[in-house]
Amino acid sequence: MSTTRVAAPADVAGAARRGPAPASRRGVPAHGRLTPWLFLAPYLLLFGVFVLAPVVLGGWISLHRWDYTLPGKPFVGLENYTDLFSGSATADTFWRSMRATAIFTVFSVPLLLVVPLAVALVMNKKFPGRNLFRAVYFAPYVLGVAVVAVLWRYLLDTNIGLINYGLGLVGLPDTTAWTTSLPAAWVALVGVTVWWTLGYNAVIYLAALQDVPAELYEAARVDGANSWQQFVHVTLPGLRPVLAFVTMITIIASANMFGQSYLITRGAPGRETRTAIYQIAETGLRNYQMGSAAAMSYVLTGFLMVLSVAVFWLLRERKAR
Amino acid sequence: MTATAVPPTRRGSTAPTPARAPGRRTGRTVVRYVLLVVLALVFVSPLLFMVLTSFKTRADAAGFPPSWLPTPFTTQAYESILAAPGTPVLRWFANSLVAALGNAAIVVATSALAAYALARMRFRGRGIVFGLIIATLFIPPVILIIPNYLIVGELGWLNTLAAVIVPTAASAFGVFFLRQFFLSIPEELEEAARLDGASPWRIFWRVVLPLSRPALATLALLSLLTNWNDFLWPVYVLFSPELQTLPAGLSTLQSANAVRYDLLMAGAVIASVPVLILFVFLQRFIIEGVSRSGLKG
Amino acid sequence: MRTTTTTSTTARRSRARLGLAAAGLAATFALAACGGGMSAEEAAGGGGGEAAELPEFTGEYDGPEVELSYWNGFTGGDGPFMQGMVEQFMEENPNITVTPNTIQWADFYQRLPAAVNAGEGPDVGVMHLDQLATNAARNVIVPLDELADGIGLTEDDFSEEVWQAGIYQDARYGIPLDVHSLAMYYNTEHFAAAGITEPPTDQASFMDALDKLQAAGYETPFWSPTLWPAHLMFYSLTWQNGGEPFAEDGSEATFGSPEGVEALEWQRSLVDEGYSPSDVAQDSQYVAFKNGETSITWDGIWQINDLQASELPWGIAPVPTIFDEDRVWANSHQFFMTKQASGDADKAAAAQVFIAWMSEHSEDWAQAGMIPARQSVRDGGALEGLPQQIIAERIDDMRFLPPVPGIGTVATEALEPAVANGVLGKSSPEEALTGAAVQATELMQENLESFGG
Repeated sequence: MSTTRVAAPADVAGAARRGPAPASRRGVPAHGRLTPWLFLAPYLLLFGVFVLAPVVLGGWISLHRWDYTLPGKPFVGLENYTDLFSGSATADTFWRSMRATAIFTVFSVPLLLVVPLAVALVMNKKFPGRNLFRAVYFAPYVLGVAVVAVLWRYLLDTNIGLINYGLGLVGLPDTTAWTTSLPAAWVALVGVTVWWTLGYNAVIYLAALQDVPAELYEAARVDGANSWQQFVHVTLPGLRPVLAFVTMITIIASANMFGQSYLITRGAPGRETRTAIYQIAETGLRNYQMGSAAAMSYVLTGFLMVLSVAVFWLLRERKAR
Repeated sequence: MTATAVPPTRRGSTAPTPARAPGRRTGRTVVRYVLLVVLALVFVSPLLFMVLTSFKTRADAAGFPPSWLPTPFTTQAYESILAAPGTPVLRWFANSLVAALGNAAIVVATSALAAYALARMRFRGRGIVFGLIIATLFIPPVILIIPNYLIVGELGWLNTLAAVIVPTAASAFGVFFLRQFFLSIPEELEEAARLDGASPWRIFWRVVLPLSRPALATLALLSLLTNWNDFLWPVYVLFSPELQTLPAGLSTLQSANAVRYDLLMAGAVIASVPVLILFVFLQRFIIEGVSRSGLKG
Repeated sequence: MRTTTTTSTTARRSRARLGLAAAGLAATFALAACGGGMSAEEAAGGGGGEAAELPEFTGEYDGPEVELSYWNGFTGGDGPFMQGMVEQFMEENPNITVTPNTIQWADFYQRLPAAVNAGEGPDVGVMHLDQLATNAARNVIVPLDELADGIGLTEDDFSEEVWQAGIYQDARYGIPLDVHSLAMYYNTEHFAAAGITEPPTDQASFMDALDKLQAAGYETPFWSPTLWPAHLMFYSLTWQNGGEPFAEDGSEATFGSPEGVEALEWQRSLVDEGYSPSDVAQDSQYVAFKNGETSITWDGIWQINDLQASELPWGIAPVPTIFDEDRVWANSHQFFMTKQASGDADKAAAAQVFIAWMSEHSEDWAQAGMIPARQSVRDGGALEGLPQQIIAERIDDMRFLPPVPGIGTVATEALEPAVANGVLGKSSPEEALTGAAVQATELMQENLESFGG
């Protein structure tokens, strides 16, 4: 299940600093004591049932051997967790899938941070056709992962695919099994993901670039800074809050990669490209080992939280300097 | 190349170009266009190939070397895919539409109400509620999958569109985003309405919402897009062929027709053309919505 | 015991809370129209692990018009034959409407328990024999002993193995439709060029054939698959070697035995000795066979229709006995009825009529490349002139996985990766199998506990 993207930590921090509206200055709109809760009620109902309750329920499930199609759901304490940290079959498949997620994240995130920034820089100027190009780069994102994956599975076909054919035309090896061999499958998955979501990040960068005050560039030029120096000393610092935001959403998106692997490689070769979330879904919703799957999702969440804090801290630290 | 005519000193939202010799700037413009066009080709050609393949025969689509133009041109793939009882593509399309619109409507309605209370009303517990909502922005969705499956099951919503509409509708992002927007609205307008004796609901409905149309539209489009493209959840909570959403349905289509690339591409085209048309008309709003999601409301 | 009680009270309380929430949501968003399902407990009805009372089978259905939802996984060349049988059934039984729903097998097994629990599943369907126990333990399907008696099905009409394998905890859950085994396909042109006149039947003749084929210029005459159907070959070879992959009572994985190790070593030796390329990718051994790049492949008899549609000169023969005993892996398609149907007297009656009719008309099903499960149907000449006839003659050599709940998952999680690693040479067959057998036993013990309770 993909919920809406997260906001940048910097934004949240900013919002907290700004605090609630300084409404008291001129008097708050009159309302009864119950009114705010009536306004909040529909949201809180959904929030309680589908966000708060599941977080707690997930923890509860993870303490049981929970197959919802069976009458018995024995309490097993931390067994589902200790299983993940022992030499059991479950541990083996789980850590393999965590490794797959890590590989994908490590290779896709830098590309998804740098390439869209380069594209945004090239486009950061008014010129005819700019909006058209922007739309073209953004278009694959609108199609969604299913269309993208079905399309690329065809293009990446070892024998009749356009990619291998094209590679052959320019004299490169043309028999790569993009969907069934390593490391080719990772190259394919990362490549398709960059193609699919490049436009999304580029558009965010582009908007942020336009918010960098022109005066700063002028001042830098007066000081004799060249293009590269302007980029390092004006553009990058100006982008920092957005960079933090883009880094966070990209890491979370990459760590939650599912559709590409489910549709393009089907986890092949073997289980090598089966990601953690894929494994969790299969364990919980195909084999109905929901306790084990819930424990896995808590462990994955733990990793992601630590990672988020690390990214947050890294990007803040430099800002403070 | 009118771009070169822009005075280098021009201020405003564009990054100013350093003053340089005109010849060099023309050179840069050419390089820029070459880069952009090459990149655009990389983005467009797979989509073009998808559309062209959907008009090929089965043998042509699986032939080697792959050809761009269909010979002969045929709509066979569309006919057989629309006739196949196990893969009702049009029905999937309708399901996706209902789900995405329903989800977007609930997100906008519930987030706007909650955000307004959090932005403008003072009450005990506001800090806690807001803090709790913001905290969930940092919870990866994976943690919700298993328990929400059980909750949806208990509600009797498995294999119903409600399962793909409602659970994702509690949008912390929506509340955060709209609250920031509401805070930016000058309070005087609401104050004036209040002095006229308007109730909080009336102020919200008549004053705040009309002023917030762009923000509401942005949130609606973002939710629409997210829901439309959601893949993992529908794959597991919808069972019946006629109840699939498009992404989940395409997955069935792929496993049922592993090497029938003509059919698969026809299915992919049916799934994408309406979104692409919508995108062409609304692209400014969608793109600006996305770009603004990275900025402060 | 104490913990169980706690769990169920909590569950009940949380259900009540959820119920309230649901009512609130439905009212708020007027989504009631989208809902309409049942909770798992409601749908489970009187099930609860006991055998449901089915109406007595009379052989005919004369109640009001009824609609049966019928799920199967015949997405391939077998689909049209099944469709034809369904249509004929409806012509003969105008008051029963059968709505077929054909789903890929992989999705089928994932969705079935959830769908039946949600009251959105089938009334009747076809599943593989090795899935019956799992779904019986999950209380998805109901016992059909009465029906079997009613149609007059007895053990004499089936091979003992296929008959016994449909029984879980003393109750019959499946009515066999067909059996389908692994078979050996060979390229007749290659065989002629290599001077092979008879398809090989044992290790000596098989290896001799491979050598002759290589001598005739077919460098890789037999591709040893790493994925499907590598594990089916492994089962066959282990049985031939006198081993058992799993303990009959589901308590232990025994495929790490010396017999199993020898079997996997043989599969790997084909690569080491140059008869097979290494790293055979998914399905590529079959594609290579169809393209004439390799001369022999072992695959299921369900490929018959596909090969008949191709222009390949091919022949079919039983899988040769590489080790001591004539054994081959097989599976069976079995009709089942869900608790959804057993809760409705009309549906239950109609479902029984449908299953009985299908069983009696299984001679038509032979056209789909399968072997009818009933001896009487086979003796009636259903297989006359069909390629699988030669395979059907060996029906008594066919072996099935034991009826142990959750065995499918054990195989995919532990055994299949081990076989793949062994054939790929990533680890020695012995290492791969013994390690995996420990894991598999662990999973099976857990399964005994969960499914037993």
